[in-house]
Amino acid sequence: MSQLPHDSAHTHVSGLSEFVDDRIKMQNEVYVEVLYSPHAKAMIKKIDTSKAIKYPGVCGVFLGKDFHENIWGTIFRDQPLLADKEVNFAGEAIALVAATSQDAAAEAKKLIEITYEIKPAVLSVQDAIALESFIAGSRKIERGQVEKALVSAPHKIENSIVIRGADHFYLESNVAVAYPKEDGQIEIHSSSQHPTEVQHVVAHGLGLSSKDVTCVVKRMGGGFGGKESQAAPIAAYAALAAQKLRRPARIVLTKDDDMIMTGKRNPFEIFYSVGFDNDGTILALDAKLYSDGGAYADLSTSIMERAMLHSDNAYFIPHMRVTGQVCRTNYHPHTAFRGFGGPKGVAMIEKIIEEIAHYLGKDALEIRKRNCYSDTGGRNITHYDQVVENNCLPRLLSDLEKECDYQTRRQEITVHNHKAVKDLSLPLKGLSLTPVKFGISFTTRFLNQANALVIVHRDGTLQVSTGATEMGQGVNARISELVASELGLSRSDVRMMPTSTDKNANTSPTAASSGTDLNGAAALLAIRRIKSRLSELAVQLFDLPESRWARHTAGLGTEAEISVNVSAPTNDPNANADWNTGIAEFFGVTFSNGQVYLTEKPEKRMSFHSLVVEAYHHRISLSEYAHYKFPGLSFNKLTGKGNAFLYYTQGVAASEVSIDRDTGEAKVSRVDIVMDLGRPINEALDLGQVTGAFIQGMGWVTTEKLFYKNGFLLSHAPSTYKIPSIQDTPRTFNVRLLNNNENKANVRGTKAAGEPPLLLCLSVWTAIHDALKGLTQFKYKYPHMELPATNEEILKAIHPEAFKKWSKPLGKK
Amino acid sequence: MKAVKSRNYILFYLNGERHQVSGEQAGLMLSDYLRYHKALTGTKIVCAEGDCGACSVLRFFPYHSAKKKNIFLPINSCIATVAQMDGSSLVTVEALAQPELTSVQKAMMNCHGSQCGFCTPGFVMALTGLAEKKLCAKSTSITEQEAKNATTGNLCRCTGYKPIIEAAVNIDLKNLTSVKDRFYSQMQQKDLAAHLKIPVLIKTEKFNFFAPTQVKQAFTYNKPIKIVGASTDLGVVHNKRKVRLTDALSLHLVSDLYEIKKQGKNRLTVGARVTLSDLRLYVKDLIPEFAKFLDLFASPQIKNVATLVGNVANASPIADTPPFLLTMNTEVEVHGPRGKRNIKLESFFLDYRKINLKAKEIITALHFDIPQKSEALALYKISQRKDLDISAVNFAARVTWVNKNKTQIKDIKLAVGGVAATTLRLYKTEQALTKTELSPEKINRALEELHQEIKPLSDLRATDSFRHVVTENLLRRFLREHAEKVES
Repeated sequence: MSQLPHDSAHTHVSGLSEFVDDRIKMQNEVYVEVLYSPHAKAMIKKIDTSKAIKYPGVCGVFLGKDFHENIWGTIFRDQPLLADKEVNFAGEAIALVAATSQDAAAEAKKLIEITYEIKPAVLSVQDAIALESFIAGSRKIERGQVEKALVSAPHKIENSIVIRGADHFYLESNVAVAYPKEDGQIEIHSSSQHPTEVQHVVAHGLGLSSKDVTCVVKRMGGGFGGKESQAAPIAAYAALAAQKLRRPARIVLTKDDDMIMTGKRNPFEIFYSVGFDNDGTILALDAKLYSDGGAYADLSTSIMERAMLHSDNAYFIPHMRVTGQVCRTNYHPHTAFRGFGGPKGVAMIEKIIEEIAHYLGKDALEIRKRNCYSDTGGRNITHYDQVVENNCLPRLLSDLEKECDYQTRRQEITVHNHKAVKDLSLPLKGLSLTPVKFGISFTTRFLNQANALVIVHRDGTLQVSTGATEMGQGVNARISELVASELGLSRSDVRMMPTSTDKNANTSPTAASSGTDLNGAAALLAIRRIKSRLSELAVQLFDLPESRWARHTAGLGTEAEISVNVSAPTNDPNANADWNTGIAEFFGVTFSNGQVYLTEKPEKRMSFHSLVVEAYHHRISLSEYAHYKFPGLSFNKLTGKGNAFLYYTQGVAASEVSIDRDTGEAKVSRVDIVMDLGRPINEALDLGQVTGAFIQGMGWVTTEKLFYKNGFLLSHAPSTYKIPSIQDTPRTFNVRLLNNNENKANVRGTKAAGEPPLLLCLSVWTAIHDALKGLTQFKYKYPHMELPATNEEILKAIHPEAFKKWSKPLGKK
Repeated sequence: MKAVKSRNYILFYLNGERHQVSGEQAGLMLSDYLRYHKALTGTKIVCAEGDCGACSVLRFFPYHSAKKKNIFLPINSCIATVAQMDGSSLVTVEALAQPELTSVQKAMMNCHGSQCGFCTPGFVMALTGLAEKKLCAKSTSITEQEAKNATTGNLCRCTGYKPIIEAAVNIDLKNLTSVKDRFYSQMQQKDLAAHLKIPVLIKTEKFNFFAPTQVKQAFTYNKPIKIVGASTDLGVVHNKRKVRLTDALSLHLVSDLYEIKKQGKNRLTVGARVTLSDLRLYVKDLIPEFAKFLDLFASPQIKNVATLVGNVANASPIADTPPFLLTMNTEVEVHGPRGKRNIKLESFFLDYRKINLKAKEIITALHFDIPQKSEALALYKISQRKDLDISAVNFAARVTWVNKNKTQIKDIKLAVGGVAATTLRLYKTEQALTKTELSPEKINRALEELHQEIKPLSDLRATDSFRHVVTENLLRRFLREHAEKVES
């Protein structure tokens, strides 16, 4: 376990890391600007580009018809690259202008005249439900006898939860540069989590075969799911201009255009009935999940599936039915965002837990512990029939309860709020502790595969290429540490190469937190094959005097060539490896500190570099390519049953908030987190994922409000869309990793860290509710707030009468 | 044009190197000039509106910093034109390492303050600015709060900020050489100082720029022209292609406009070029309540260039200083071709973004009260996010009491922003609160007046009802905090 900085940290802090738009402009390069619809739904009657094409500096104006195939889509191919007959969301791209300067392209864009016939738009989940405006069919996961159990339950709560979307707000907006190459080829540099999809969308769009399109991703300035699918059409725009004009073409969206055009976290509305007993044990749950998919399918159906698979979160619910339906509305096509559907399912069940506690007058932590998955009493099987193995949840809950002094603080807060209810100068305080159990794997089985190419050069340094894309999470650092440690080298001996479809094809997006799990395992399998060959060679070399080694004799051809066996491929990254070190040993040879020696006779040694030179002269391959897939996945989408996940990443957080009753402002004063990330490859990077995900989630549940007018996003810049600032960081912010050496399912016992900690932000949302519970109006009723609980949402809950008094009917807000 | 000897180029130093820019290039945003013309791509553009700090560079401008020891301050390069850099010395992220990383960079690397790397150069520059301040003050440590205050203008979406705070407090100041010592040579100072005495006139097809050295020269320019201070708003609307900045007048060479002066004990005069950062330093002990308020709004990068006069001249109903100024008997000093006049701030705001200025008139200063010890002053700002956010409502109250036990108000001034087309003085509410002893009934009557006086709208920051409720609550809070408890 290392604490090494991110492998690009030194160039990041020097301003020398290259992002797509940092590529030096070519002499004949053109800029591409996108014109998009201001209307949520309209027919396009006419597009007049004649004025724009005459604008000085303009090289071309392109429409949907200019694409060979004007259609794309990740799961369903349902979306035009450029809308030509109708627009289905405000921000939908219609035309491209390519010009010699960005200024010319932007000004010329204003001269394109489009005649629209505006149509009524579907702008809410309720309207979509009423109109049965859906994307794909309804899905269901069910266990037990829900109706019966609900009827016989001593207590029942029926309620709903409204969850709003959120913008990814990656700092680097969508961007691509396309270079036309000889013989009709296109090389495209994109800021994408999914280069293979960029390659395919560009190829289809331009009428090229995959062999003629190469997509390269060096790094992204943040992705968070927002560049899983939606980077592809942007890249296609640059590629189209490059192909048509035979000039390099660059597209750099402004933050405003990026936010207006691209989809967000899916909003959800969930309706539920829960039955429970006097102790708060949940007996049955019936939940109907509706999501706002926006205008096109994008990834929404998979997101819904993950929401359904996470509606249990950490809790065993014997009788449970979850149905899910994606709604088609006229918003930007909503898409992947860290956590995928998980946070929405978990938001619902955590709210339910709090409501049960409030109803019974108990502490919510007690209800959580009571319902938590446990290894006893058959309470370790999910509603989709997967056994929760290596269940750390009970331990996490009780560890954090002690560490954060939960019970003492609970008492103090109760006393404080008792005073505060009468004394307006005091804030209201709230405390909540929520767990997460997040399933690791794509729920679509075929995506759970990866490949890696490892090259050992003759100076003993390595280049590694995988399908993983680097977006700040440190996937490259982790993979290079895996590879380096296996050969006893330091990380600086290994260079991670840009992700490129000509080296790693048929890759999956870097998503679902699985980047290192999949690609790291593939890289490790590849390097072990090289290691096995080198080990076998070393054993034979150690039997010869050094004077007879190839480096002295190869040119002469006086010595017999040594040959080695090609080891049989395995799909298990932990095969042959010592569990504690994670290192595999072959032929009794150890690789350590740049040296190679016989484990039993350490004096028989040579440098790694020398061994590599020997291998080359003995014509032993120093490159390897490996493929890896997650084993044991059996989830059946039709029955909703089976092993959906390789393992679960788990964690808990306790958040304390204080609320200003005059203004509704909430301040998160303290957060304590314990996270189970197995045995990290790099603890520092993992901790960075935890704090980053938590604060990102905190923005979603508090200040981040997407404000639309007639379907057009008005909060499309940081001046109006407020992600957390450094001042919002909790004053006390303790994060610790659980010591868990038992995750045999994954490469070297690690666990994925990217998404799971985001879901812990729900403790902030429930803590805000907790703070309001002492107010008289909530004595018998749990506070009802949307997610995010903005200060307006909170103030409305505190002063419902005053809000009623001053709200004028203003039509649609 | 009168025949004043002028130059047709901008002069500044970039990473110690002399840059003389003329023609249309002077109208480029500094960040574009750096990235696309000088291949200094470490400076990033994210929002192009001064809200994220990714474009931060360090800048020294002699007039701004004359009274301060720390001279290199972080600014946003995405909303300032190259022309506005005239007379400055600039440092970008690429110049810091030599080639060994500075202790700021090392701390950011070793404490894992960087993930995707896109915001990182901006944070490095903001923290280098903080370190520079610390070096000048001969301080050897940085506190968490100082770290947060220095990077309020920088957004990061990856780290959750915790590692960045850790990096900041771990900067090894003892092994850091000041940017000033590295990049601000004697020769450079002389060169710049000599140029500051010569007006600038750049005329091109797309961009005209005029910088006189005296206010009266300004009236000699005959085309309609926008006065640019820090262009923290003009630069934004330019970038967003709403109104392009084509003709700009800059007063940066008029040295007397940088003055802050006390007039007697009770009045303060703030020149048109005084930045909010400089003002904050000045009022820290003089008007602590205002200094505290200045910490809450805008980023350090903005406040290092933006002026108090600009905040007023922009006439936005949600500008953050007008409520304060409206309670302080503020007068706007204006110079025009026909001489000087003073306008009461109350009659200066005509309507939404409309001000009471005649053609060619230029605001040269603001004069306002310094609140006395016997008075109470409260300034509130309510926004979606506590720091660096545009207000939904901002509120100022200033009161003097008839009696020591604070049961009767002698004089009260209330001003609110975000509840009408302009910032409002609440005259009727004020009246309803004065003359007799405060009582619950009296307060309720005042609140009725308040709700009559304000005319809030619903927009993306808040609904009208939120603004009603909050404004009422803020008045209640003010009385709760400052008046003797009124039994109700």
